[in-house]
Amino acid sequence: MTDTAIQIRRMNKFYGSFQVLRDINLTVRKGERIVICGPSGSGKSTLIRCINRLEDHQDGSINVLGTELNEDVGSIDLIRREVGMVFQHFNLFPHLTVLENCTLAPMLVRRFSRAEAERVAREYLERVRIPEKADAFPSELSGGQQQRVAIARALCMRPEILLFDEPTSALDPEMINEVLDVMRELAMDGMTMVCVTHEMGFARQVADRVIFMSNGEIVEENTPEAFFTNPRNERTRGFLAKILAH
Amino acid sequence: MPSLLRNRKFRSATLQVLFVLAVMVILVSAVTTAQDTIATNGMRSGFGFLDRTTGVNIGFSVLQYDANSTYRQLILVGLVNTAILGILGIILAHIVGLVVAAMAISRNGSLNLVAQGYVELFRSIPLILQALFWYALVTHLPAPRNAHEPLPGLFLTGRGIFMPGLSVTGEAVALVLGCLLLGAIAFAWFMIDHRFRRISDSRRRTGRLVIIGLTLLACALALNAGRVPDMPLISVPELRGLNFRGGFALPPELTALAIAIAIYGGAYVSEILRAGFQAVPRGQLEAAAALGLRPLHVFTRVHLPMAFRAVLPTLTNQCVWMFKATTLGIAVGYSDLFYVISISITQSGQTLELIGILMLGFLVMNNMISFLLNRLNKAIALKGT
Amino acid sequence: MTDMTHPIPRNSRLEQLRHRFLRTPLDIAVTAASLLLALFVGWKLLDWAVLSAVWTSPDGLSQPCRDASGACWAVIEARWRLILFGVFPYAEQWRAAVATAALILAGGLSCLPLFWSVIRQALLWIAAFALFMVFMHGGVFGLSSVPPAQWGGLALTLFFFVAVVIVGMPLSICLALMRRSDLPVIRGTAIILIDGVRALPLVTILFTAALILPFVLPGWLQGDKIWRVIAGFALFFAAYQAEVLRSGIQALPRGQEEAAKALGMGYFHRITRVVLPQAFRNALPPTINQLVITLMETSLIVIIGFFDLMASGNAAYGTGEWSFAYVEVYAFIALIYGVFVFSLSRYGRYLERRLRVGSS
Ligand SMILES: Nc1ncnc2c1ncn2[C@@H]1O[C@H](COP(=O)(O)OP(=O)(O)OP(=O)(O)O)[C@@H](O)[C@H]1O
Ligand SMILES: [Mg+2]
Repeated sequence: MTDTAIQIRRMNKFYGSFQVLRDINLTVRKGERIVICGPSGSGKSTLIRCINRLEDHQDGSINVLGTELNEDVGSIDLIRREVGMVFQHFNLFPHLTVLENCTLAPMLVRRFSRAEAERVAREYLERVRIPEKADAFPSELSGGQQQRVAIARALCMRPEILLFDEPTSALDPEMINEVLDVMRELAMDGMTMVCVTHEMGFARQVADRVIFMSNGEIVEENTPEAFFTNPRNERTRGFLAKILAH
Repeated sequence: MPSLLRNRKFRSATLQVLFVLAVMVILVSAVTTAQDTIATNGMRSGFGFLDRTTGVNIGFSVLQYDANSTYRQLILVGLVNTAILGILGIILAHIVGLVVAAMAISRNGSLNLVAQGYVELFRSIPLILQALFWYALVTHLPAPRNAHEPLPGLFLTGRGIFMPGLSVTGEAVALVLGCLLLGAIAFAWFMIDHRFRRISDSRRRTGRLVIIGLTLLACALALNAGRVPDMPLISVPELRGLNFRGGFALPPELTALAIAIAIYGGAYVSEILRAGFQAVPRGQLEAAAALGLRPLHVFTRVHLPMAFRAVLPTLTNQCVWMFKATTLGIAVGYSDLFYVISISITQSGQTLELIGILMLGFLVMNNMISFLLNRLNKAIALKGT
Repeated sequence: MTDMTHPIPRNSRLEQLRHRFLRTPLDIAVTAASLLLALFVGWKLLDWAVLSAVWTSPDGLSQPCRDASGACWAVIEARWRLILFGVFPYAEQWRAAVATAALILAGGLSCLPLFWSVIRQALLWIAAFALFMVFMHGGVFGLSSVPPAQWGGLALTLFFFVAVVIVGMPLSICLALMRRSDLPVIRGTAIILIDGVRALPLVTILFTAALILPFVLPGWLQGDKIWRVIAGFALFFAAYQAEVLRSGIQALPRGQEEAAKALGMGYFHRITRVVLPQAFRNALPPTINQLVITLMETSLIVIIGFFDLMASGNAAYGTGEWSFAYVEVYAFIALIYGVFVFSLSRYGRYLERRLRVGSS
């Protein structure tokens, strides 16, 4: 039983001839909160999508919770069960109610009974503070509510690790906080989290480490204080200047 | 007065009145011309002929029919035959279409190619040509005495496909098919309608069992009522003289048409479904995969239901189209509604009435299909969109 | 697994093909099975259609075919004039050939960008149609008159198709505009007509046109059966095409018509200068699709007793001499339809690409 959650070694990824990720090395311990930021197109989404194998990498190795990611279907099943993901555009299933969105995977993948799955789902809907919307359909919810349901849906699988891909960037400002609050609580409970986000306040408060990517490379990796007060890299400084200017 | 002419309301009212008048003039003149023609040719109009005997024989009929039956019975035979062919063709075409569409969207390149080739080939040959081809093929199967027997009890011959069956009357068979269809509709409604989605699991299970039980009971009753006396319940086809006796026979006309509609309609259905599959946002599939659902479950629980919702209106039109395609029966001599109407016209000369019945029959049947599928569409439509 | 130290170049086509066809062992198995099946079917077809086929029969008899295992293309050799021209007087069949060629040529020309305007299309088709009638029907310029009852084969099928589209296209525009009219009576009539026709099978409409119209039309309006059937068919085509056009109109942003109104344009100019040009452009792919379907559906006129391509095919193998050769005849007819359908749908794809590039 090690305490390493994710270990990525010398990973390269290509789209055709275009190299999206270059020589990525990253280790995430259990319970750690990582924030990834960087300019658009720098490969942040691609990186975290490699962690649950929505994308496959070409070179190097990715090891998640002791399982090596390779072509073996078993390893993919195993990883996806233990790694939850929250998307920028929520991706709730529009043909299912909120409750059904949350119970679908536990019933099919974890083989929960319907009663058990619903109990768990209601518990998490309670935690993201929308128990009353259990029977609504996704299109009847606001963006912030949808994103909180998406978080609850991921939590219902009782994942060891949660990945967030810009969970707040499709939301109106007043809804951003309700989602960030939920994420802060999760962090407090010791969930292992990898977040792609540009919410620098959140990063400062919650993150154990901040990772800055540019052009498919990890350019800087630092504690939040050091990252924000004393960035080592030229590109990081430029990026921070732009993003903190608002 | 000029100010009135320049008034929009007045103009549109006048235009509509003129339009209605024009339509009326056309209709009235058509009716009077028709009356004149009928009078000068000394024909009788009205629906009295429905009770006269027809004096003609037809090929395939599920219901009891012979040359002494009335026109009313003949038309009923045609309706039932049309319904059987239409429903059979629609079901088969959807099975074919689903398989081909699944191949078309699979990640495997060779399956994509097979699906593409299938669609390109069968969509560019007229349906009637395909039907005639299959008919020629089916009737060129060997004569009964040299029948192919791929499975014990199943005989492929140029006179039809013979298989073991129940010895019951055709009416009972038609009744059973009707019960099964109603049962399936009730079942689908119960499973899908939002109203029944919130009730507890155990009650849902009871509900399902009740529907299945009632359907089976109705089928059993119909079969029992329709049993042919003094015959074993299950009869196996045997060669007697030049043809098979007993068992259940699928006539070559029905076989050929069902194959043709399944293959041609299947090509269209698969294209519709493929478009639906591709319209499902990738993000939703990724979300399902990220939750750990197996590819099969991603397909059956997320991809298929969402694609189906997206394309149901188009599929409805396709179903109506396939139902209308049953009128090809006349090309191979299958006694569908159109066929019986056209022989009734030659036989009785009651052209106007019979064509009225034909059109009414199709309007009713096709609107029933649209109505049912539109209800289904409403029941499963995504909320709030 | 791959060598972890050296990133390999991934841009080669070969690599992409490998990914599509041979990614996992299952893929390899499926690809191999499909390949074997394709080879098997391909070989059988080649053997039947080419290697063991009988191409000609010197005295026009079927005996050589009966002894061979492959396809009997001799039936086509013996019967191609029947298939193409039906029962058109044998000595005059060159006229049917010229007439058919005129229609095909017009079809080809109308695909050229040079002819992409309503006026030019209209002129082109009217000219082609006139040429067709002169040669096919005759009765002028010293050509003997051949009434439509003697037309047949491919010539009749193409004539039907062209006539239906020429009559049906303007009708469909009328129906589409009526259907979106603000006047409830006119809109209602259009809806009843469109939905009613679409709920009926084509053959019942053709049947009605052939049998019922003589009852209700005064004698001077009846004309030959072929014209009535074309009218009925055109109505059927128009009902479907009107819906295609309507969806093309609906895809226009509302602002388009409002802008035209704000500029003070009247109804006629709004429709002909702003709405229809864009609607046709939006609706081009489904329109081509509709044309393909209509071409194939012309084969249904055999049911009401016309001697079209389908019927002449049946007649070609219908005699005792050739009755075994139905597969070859059907294959030949399928090929003819296939060539037309294939070129139309390819052209549709090309248009779709070209228009997409132009609009965005
Ligand atoms: N399916 C794909 N095929 C080809 N290139 C892709 C594909 N997906 C992403 N890319 C490219 O890979 C690069 C990294 O994309 P990625 O989505 O990871 O960036 P990102 O850092 O998440 O950007 P953003 O902040 O805009 O979300 C981009 O240059 C993008 O154009
Ligand atoms: Mg991104």
